[in-house]
Amino acid sequence: MASRDVVQYETPLTRGFRWFSGVFIALYLVWTLLPILVMFVSSFKDLLEAFKIPAVGDWSGVGVFFDFTPTLKHYRDLFVNLDFSRYMANSLVAAGGSAVISVILGSMAAYSLSRIDFRGKSDLFFWIISTRMAPVVAVMVPLYAIFRSLDLVGTLPGLILAYTTFNLPFAIWILKGFFDNVPYAIEEAQMVDGATRFQAFVAILPLVAPGIGAFIVLCILFAWNDFLFAAIIGSGGAKTLPVATRELVQPQNIQWGSIMAAGVVTTLPMMLLGLVIRRYLVTGLTMGAVKE
Amino acid sequence: MARVTFRNVWKKYGDFAAVKDLNIDCPDGTFLSILGPSGCGKSSTMRMVAGLEHISAGDILFDDKRINDLAPKDRDVAMVFENYALYPHKSVFENMANPLKLRGQDTGRIKDRVTQAAQLLEIGHLLERRPQELSGGQKQRVAIGRAIVREPKLFLFDEPIAHLDAKLRAHMRGEIKHMQRTLGTTMVYVTHDQLEAMSMADQIAVMHEGELQQLGSPREVYNKPVNAWVAGFVGEPAMNFLTCELSREADRLSLSHPNFSLALKPDQAGCLNGTTGTVRMGVRPDALAISMTRPAEPVITGEVFVTELLGGDMIVEVQLADARIRVKTAPEFAGSPGEACYLSVNRDKWHAFDTGTGRAYF
Repeated sequence: MASRDVVQYETPLTRGFRWFSGVFIALYLVWTLLPILVMFVSSFKDLLEAFKIPAVGDWSGVGVFFDFTPTLKHYRDLFVNLDFSRYMANSLVAAGGSAVISVILGSMAAYSLSRIDFRGKSDLFFWIISTRMAPVVAVMVPLYAIFRSLDLVGTLPGLILAYTTFNLPFAIWILKGFFDNVPYAIEEAQMVDGATRFQAFVAILPLVAPGIGAFIVLCILFAWNDFLFAAIIGSGGAKTLPVATRELVQPQNIQWGSIMAAGVVTTLPMMLLGLVIRRYLVTGLTMGAVKE
Repeated sequence: MARVTFRNVWKKYGDFAAVKDLNIDCPDGTFLSILGPSGCGKSSTMRMVAGLEHISAGDILFDDKRINDLAPKDRDVAMVFENYALYPHKSVFENMANPLKLRGQDTGRIKDRVTQAAQLLEIGHLLERRPQELSGGQKQRVAIGRAIVREPKLFLFDEPIAHLDAKLRAHMRGEIKHMQRTLGTTMVYVTHDQLEAMSMADQIAVMHEGELQQLGSPREVYNKPVNAWVAGFVGEPAMNFLTCELSREADRLSLSHPNFSLALKPDQAGCLNGTTGTVRMGVRPDALAISMTRPAEPVITGEVFVTELLGGDMIVEVQLADARIRVKTAPEFAGSPGEACYLSVNRDKWHAFDTGTGRAYF
């Protein structure tokens, strides 16, 4: 096997480029991480300390940002007075429920699209993904009307259904690629071994596990961070974290401390999820694209 | 164990017929090889037997039971796939246990059967490994193991050793043949390699463009090909074909060619009765003898074009007026390119085919 090292030779151009990319990456890190840092730090600050800002150009005053006595009062406030544990549970159930339903229905639909030829298959496939082409806002009004007539507005099942509507086409689209890469012969061997078609389908699911894992993450991320559906369809009975956070902004009183703490509470679980399945996610998203 | 019968079986993909009116009767315990080049319909035939493809027309029977409409799992066949089709996420043991597990056998019996099959195939030490940790030959044994753990009515082997290297292939030919004889199970073995079919099968079904050309024992197919296509496909090096004129002198019928004129034997002349004009003469490289000195008997004269030493044999290509033909001879042959040489024909082993249809006269 040949060496996998890429041979590189230094020229003034590559040196310059390397220097430039170093600067670019540093700026990019500041740009993306600073807001998260501010959010994280401010959630532990008293309101007065949180608004202490040095004068423009006073670089020695940066220390002001880190000069505070940590307090957990915003977190206490969230969970004791503001009922955030319920909103968090709502978020979890809505995201998890829609992910599970989308994966079950999506894998079956993707398998069928991958394996069975029928008239109008490519049109159907295009139609499935085209449902994602309209912006959510455009379909929100009719969707709201439908949900209201079915008494689903303000309920968790309604919210799960709404997320599933948007996640299912995505699941089918992603998983079909994975099923396409599983050789037919493996199911055929299963069927000759004595399996029914459905048993054969279940037997090859472990081979598309990276795809299923990647999809579940993307699906949970979409539902967890969603605001529009949650605000309109879930409003009232099925309030999720982003909506509850938004309600902390009131005309006469913006509760910055609680908002920062709510931001941390919302972000942290997804960061942990990302860390746990990071490796999985990367192989999942590339495996569908590269054939052996 | 079962006898397999194909009765007027067709396979059509739209307007294209992959298998045309196939009729084969394969007695219980027979090793049947379906031989043909790629695209001849041999794989479609096997997949119809397995139940992986619908039968467009006709019937396939196991013993006397029509199995057209049975799902693969109800046909009680075991199949070895060309690419092995092992389950990559399962260990060798789990791969081999799969057919038994799906049939609801109890764990103890599964373990016994798998161990037994693994022993027979000498893969007992690999049971805990995963398929990607195995070599090609080992994978192929696991695939065979998965087929023999139960006692199916029928084995279906789809080019199982096509991807192994030449040495291992030769070894596995013997092993598969021995295994089939030992178990006594009817076997349908699909291959494009005439050597595999010749060396293993009891019966060979030669297929070409969806049609069964000839069904017979390896000896029959080799010695009495029914047409020029079968004659050319079976045998390595391939049969030589020369277009000859039929000429009649007194009562003797001869084949004439710019390089020779050779008389037919009386029974062969009988087969050609009433035929005039040209025929295709076919002669295998091993039915020709080459010499650098002109023998007394009538011969083909030509000149040496090139010699290829194959260890125990030598192939000499001889240039004739309008064609080149190959001769198998002993490695001691000493002619060099450009020299005149003389070929005598074993007239018990030559053939004549119709120039148009390719049908064999003898």
